[in-house]
Amino acid sequence: MEEFLNKNIKDIIARYPEAGKILDRYNIGCTTCSVGSCLLKDIIEIHNLSPAVEAELIYEIERLIFPGKEVKKRPPRQRAVKPQGEIKYSPPIKKLVDEHILIKHFIALIEPLCALVNSSPEPDFQLILDCVDFIRNYADKYHHMKEEDVLFKRTGENLDIIKVMLEDHASGRDHVKQIIEGARVKDKAQVIEHLNGYKELLTRHIKKEDEILYPWIDRGLSTSDVGKLYVEFGEKDASLPDDFQKRYQDFVRQVEDILNKRR
Amino acid sequence: MHGHGMEGCPGSRTQDFRDNKENKGDESGKRASELKQWPIQLHLISPMAPYYQKADLLLSADCVAYTAGDFHKDYLKGKSIAIACPKLDEGQEVYAEKIQSLIDDAKINTLTVMTMQVPCCAGLVATAQAGASQAKRKIPLKSIVLSLQGDVLSEEWVS
Repeated sequence: MEEFLNKNIKDIIARYPEAGKILDRYNIGCTTCSVGSCLLKDIIEIHNLSPAVEAELIYEIERLIFPGKEVKKRPPRQRAVKPQGEIKYSPPIKKLVDEHILIKHFIALIEPLCALVNSSPEPDFQLILDCVDFIRNYADKYHHMKEEDVLFKRTGENLDIIKVMLEDHASGRDHVKQIIEGARVKDKAQVIEHLNGYKELLTRHIKKEDEILYPWIDRGLSTSDVGKLYVEFGEKDASLPDDFQKRYQDFVRQVEDILNKRR
Repeated sequence: MHGHGMEGCPGSRTQDFRDNKENKGDESGKRASELKQWPIQLHLISPMAPYYQKADLLLSADCVAYTAGDFHKDYLKGKSIAIACPKLDEGQEVYAEKIQSLIDDAKINTLTVMTMQVPCCAGLVATAQAGASQAKRKIPLKSIVLSLQGDVLSEEWVS
């Protein structure tokens, strides 16, 4: 079994599709991951399962992989586990979670925005480009760069789970390029396809970060690390215009108003 | 003398742990002190002292160090310290100012407040929050509350 704990999850699910269903039952959503390079042992570690639940999960997967073999359940590992339930973030990580709120608000507008584009004989492509400005400057430059320039450098960019997040950021940028190109040539279908692609990608991405990645990072931060991250995020924020946050909060509200009026 | 009754102030009520406390610790070896400074009492310390500059500060209620069996190893190590008693100390109006100065002048990195579960101890967290809210700089502030027998009842970032 040790050999399989050190294999990446994509290979395991490809060979044993039932493993994905087992992970789903433990609320580990690796079956939908676009990369799948995380090792099974790291996935188990990252999800902060209680020692008893962790032992049960490994037992189920081991029985799946070795169907004819008598498998004994491992004794639960003796280790500290943070309490389950409501996630409490450290102040710098909470800041990232709070930034997700505005991004999620924007993402919720993409579906009605696509409907508007689809139903308009002459869609307002300038509105689409304004939305791209939000994605590029707020979601990407402001928020993702804080992760890429500060947080992921501290955790280590070569960790599989971080590579998955960076891959998501790159995929998001690809969607944005396609949206811009679609707006330039006034191709409604292209704009809609990639707005929806961005919506689905970011929805999964934010859920992974809020529920799995950030709590895992928080568990590894010392008190001193928390203070240093807080300062570094503060410096990033201070480098932006004073009205940066408000400008984009206002923008999302304006888009919402436009969509409400045209419904 | 009171026993384990509910009478009176929980902070000063007599409680006897002799019979129900098992000593599970390893008593072999000798642990070195993790204290790297003097003085430590909040009235006596100077925020300008070099060991506070950009430090992770532990603001501990007086009783905490007697309660936590591994106070030095688990909480003091790597930190600068100030201690106070929110119930008995006089002249506490200067405490918030000192905390403000530690944040703005010493530019401490973080502030961890350790208190006992007794209600009067919560005043130290309130003092720390008052000092932090007066400061120009913002820093992460953590509260750790210990039971009377040294168990961690809560540990959370409060701002």
